[in-house]
Amino acid sequence: MSAVLKSTPAAASRDDVIVKATDIAKYFDVSPPLLNRVLERKPRVLLHAVDGVSFEIKRGETLALVGESGCGKSTVARLLVGLYRPTRGEIDFFGHDLREMNTASGRTLRQKLQMIFQDPYASLNPRWRVADIIAEPLKTHGLLQDRRAIESRVDELLTQVRLGPADKDKYPHQFSGGQRQRISIARALATHPEFLVCDEPTSALDVSVQAQVLNLMKDLQRDLGLTYLFISHNLAVVHHISDRVGVMYLGKLVELASKRTIFSAPRHPYTRMLLDAIPDLEMSGRARTPVAGEVPNPLNPPGGCTFHPRCPHANDRCKHEVPVFRLVKNGETQVACHAVEEGRI
Amino acid sequence: MSSTPLLEVRNLRIEFSTRRGTLVAVDDISLSIAPGEVLGVVGESGAGKSLTGAAIIGLLEPPGRIAAGEVKLNGLRIDNLPYDEMRKVRGREIGAIFQDPLTSLNPLYTVGQQLVETITTHLHVSMAEARRRAIDLLLSTGIPAAERRIDHYPHQFSGGMRQRVVIALALAAEPKLVIADEPTTALDVSIQAQIITLLKRLCRDKKTAVMLITHDMGVIAETADRVAVMYAGRIAEIGPVADVIHRPQHPYTVGLMGSIPTFGHETERLVQIEGSMPRLTAIPSGCAYHPRCPKTFDLCVRHRPDLMPAGTSQAACWLHDPDASRTKGKDSKYFDGDASLIDQYNTVLPVDKVADEARKKSVKYFDGDATQIDQYRTVIRPEDE
Repeated sequence: MSAVLKSTPAAASRDDVIVKATDIAKYFDVSPPLLNRVLERKPRVLLHAVDGVSFEIKRGETLALVGESGCGKSTVARLLVGLYRPTRGEIDFFGHDLREMNTASGRTLRQKLQMIFQDPYASLNPRWRVADIIAEPLKTHGLLQDRRAIESRVDELLTQVRLGPADKDKYPHQFSGGQRQRISIARALATHPEFLVCDEPTSALDVSVQAQVLNLMKDLQRDLGLTYLFISHNLAVVHHISDRVGVMYLGKLVELASKRTIFSAPRHPYTRMLLDAIPDLEMSGRARTPVAGEVPNPLNPPGGCTFHPRCPHANDRCKHEVPVFRLVKNGETQVACHAVEEGRI
Repeated sequence: MSSTPLLEVRNLRIEFSTRRGTLVAVDDISLSIAPGEVLGVVGESGAGKSLTGAAIIGLLEPPGRIAAGEVKLNGLRIDNLPYDEMRKVRGREIGAIFQDPLTSLNPLYTVGQQLVETITTHLHVSMAEARRRAIDLLLSTGIPAAERRIDHYPHQFSGGMRQRVVIALALAAEPKLVIADEPTTALDVSIQAQIITLLKRLCRDKKTAVMLITHDMGVIAETADRVAVMYAGRIAEIGPVADVIHRPQHPYTVGLMGSIPTFGHETERLVQIEGSMPRLTAIPSGCAYHPRCPKTFDLCVRHRPDLMPAGTSQAACWLHDPDASRTKGKDSKYFDGDASLIDQYNTVLPVDKVADEARKKSVKYFDGDATQIDQYRTVIRPEDE
C-alpha cells in the first residue's frame, strides 16, 4: 500500500482528501432493440442515472448519500468501486485515476477499496463455507500464501466483527441476517482496506439488528481509521453514522453539507421536504408541509431544475435553467437551487 | 376500554404443522380494538404480527392454522365461519391493505372494474351508482382526474398512486375495520408521509378502526392510539402509544426504542440488543426474551409471564409482577453477555420470517442496474427445519 502513497506526493500534500469525484456521470442505454428502432422508428433512449456529481471524501470521515429510489445513489457507489465505468467525469483515488485499477499496478489500489452490499442473503455464496468466503480476497490478491496464516487471519477477522472462530466452518444459511452482514464486513476488511463503500448495509435488517451493525461499523471506523461512503435512504441512520451528507435527486447532488448543518439548517427545498416527511418518533406534534407529487420518471426528467414540479418555491427560471451546484454564504453548504441563490428562501 | 370492542382476539394461537413437529408462531395473544381506534402492532420480522393480521381476516395459508382461541367481530365469532360466510365478512366488515400495491391489484382489470366489483359484491347498488362511488373514492384518496384514471390499469399508476387505489379498494364497502399490513414499507419516505396522512384522514372521517401492522416505530408514533409490541409470537407490551414510546416497561421495548436512530439527540452508540429473535423451533423456556434480556432472573427462565399492569401499559414481564415475594431474586442474575447462549436460538430463520423476507424482496426497487434484478428474484426457500 505504501507504493501508492509514495508515488503521489500531490495526494499526500492534500493529505486529507482520499477520494475525489469530479463531474461523474453514468448513462444507461435502455433503448429498444435495434430492429424495433429501425422498423418502428423509435429513438435511442438513455437513462441518466448519475448526471454530473462532484464530491470529495476526507480520510477517516463518513460521507453519506441519501435520496429516494432511482436517484442514482447506488450507481454512484458502483462507479466508485469500479463496477461501472463512468460515462463522463473522473474519479480520483489517492491521486490515482480509478481507471488504473484494471491495470496490474492497480492491484494495490483495489485492495484499499472494498464494498459492502445491501442484501446479505444475495452477497454471500451459499455453497461456500464462511472461511472460504472471507479468505477469497486474501487469495485473490495473493496477500497470504500459507494455509495456516490465512486461517489465523480469518479467525482474526471473525473476531473483529464479533463472531467467533468457530463460525468459520458454517455455511451462510446458518446465520441470521445481521450475522451475515457481519460476514460480508469481515470479507471487506480482509485486504486491510482504507475506504469502504457501503450500499444500504442495514436496510434489509430489523431495527435491533441494524443497531448492532451500525455500532460495529462505528467501532471499526474508530479502530481501523476507515473512511466510509454510506448509501442509504434512511435519514435517521444517516444522521447517526455520517459526518457529511449529500442529498441526491434524479441523478444529481442537490445539497452537500456537514451533518449538523444539513439537519439543523437544510437549504434545498427537497432536503427540507425529506426531513419533514420522516415520521416523528418524538411525537412533538409539529406541523408538516404536505408534499405533493412523486419522483418523476428518470427517462423523461423535467427541464430546468428537475425538482421544480414539486417545489413550492419554483418560478420561471427554475423551469428553464439548470441550477449550478455551488457554495452558499455560510461557506459550507453546497446547494443547487435558484431560490437559495437569489435569497428567496 | 369502556366501549364494547369492535374486534376482540382472545387467546389466539397459530400453529404450523411441519414434518418435524408443530411450530407455534403466535402463542396465546389477546387484544381488542375499539370502534374508530387505531391499534399499532409492531415487531421485528418473525414476531408473528402479519400472521395475527392474516388470522383475523381468515387468510392464513396452510399449513398455518388457528389452533386455539377466538376472533370476535361485534361480539360474533368469525374465526370458525365457513368459507362463503367469511367472504362476506372480508371486504364488507374488514378491509385489508397489504405491503405491495402491485400484487394486491389484479393487473388484468382496470382499477375501476376492481372497485366496482368490490362495491357491487358487498353493497346493493346499481353499476352506475357503484362507478360513481368508485370515482368519489379515488378522488378522496387524492388521485387527480379520477374520472379518467378509473379506466386505467394498475401498471399505469406509480407506486404511491397504486397504494392509494389499494386504500380506496379497502374502504370501498365501508368496512368498520381495516387491517393494514406494512402499508408504507414499500414506499419512499416522501410518499410514505402522504399515505400515512391519507390513511389517518380517511379513517377519522369514516370512523374506521385500523389495525396497523408495521416494523416502523415512527409510523406507529404518528398514527396509532395504542400499540402492541410483539416478540416471538407473544405480546410483550401493549398500551397507549405515547407511554409505550416514552416510558417503555418491557425490557424488549426499552431495547427496541433505544436501537432506533433518532434526530432528537446525538448518541455515539445505539442501544444494542444482543442476538436476534429466536427461531420457532427453539423458543426459549419461560419468557422468550430471557436469553437476550439484561434483567433476566431465575423466574424468567422457568415461568412464562402473562401481560400484567405496568404503569399505564401492560407488559409481559416478571419485573412487574405484583406478587413481590416471587420476584425476590430478580437482581440475582443479570445477563453476562454469554453469546453462545443466544446463538443456539437464532442461527436459522424462523418459518414466518421466510415469508416476511420473501415479501420484502419482491418489492425492491430497480435502481438502474440490470444485474441487480436477478439477485432480487432469488427465492428464499424455507430452511429445512
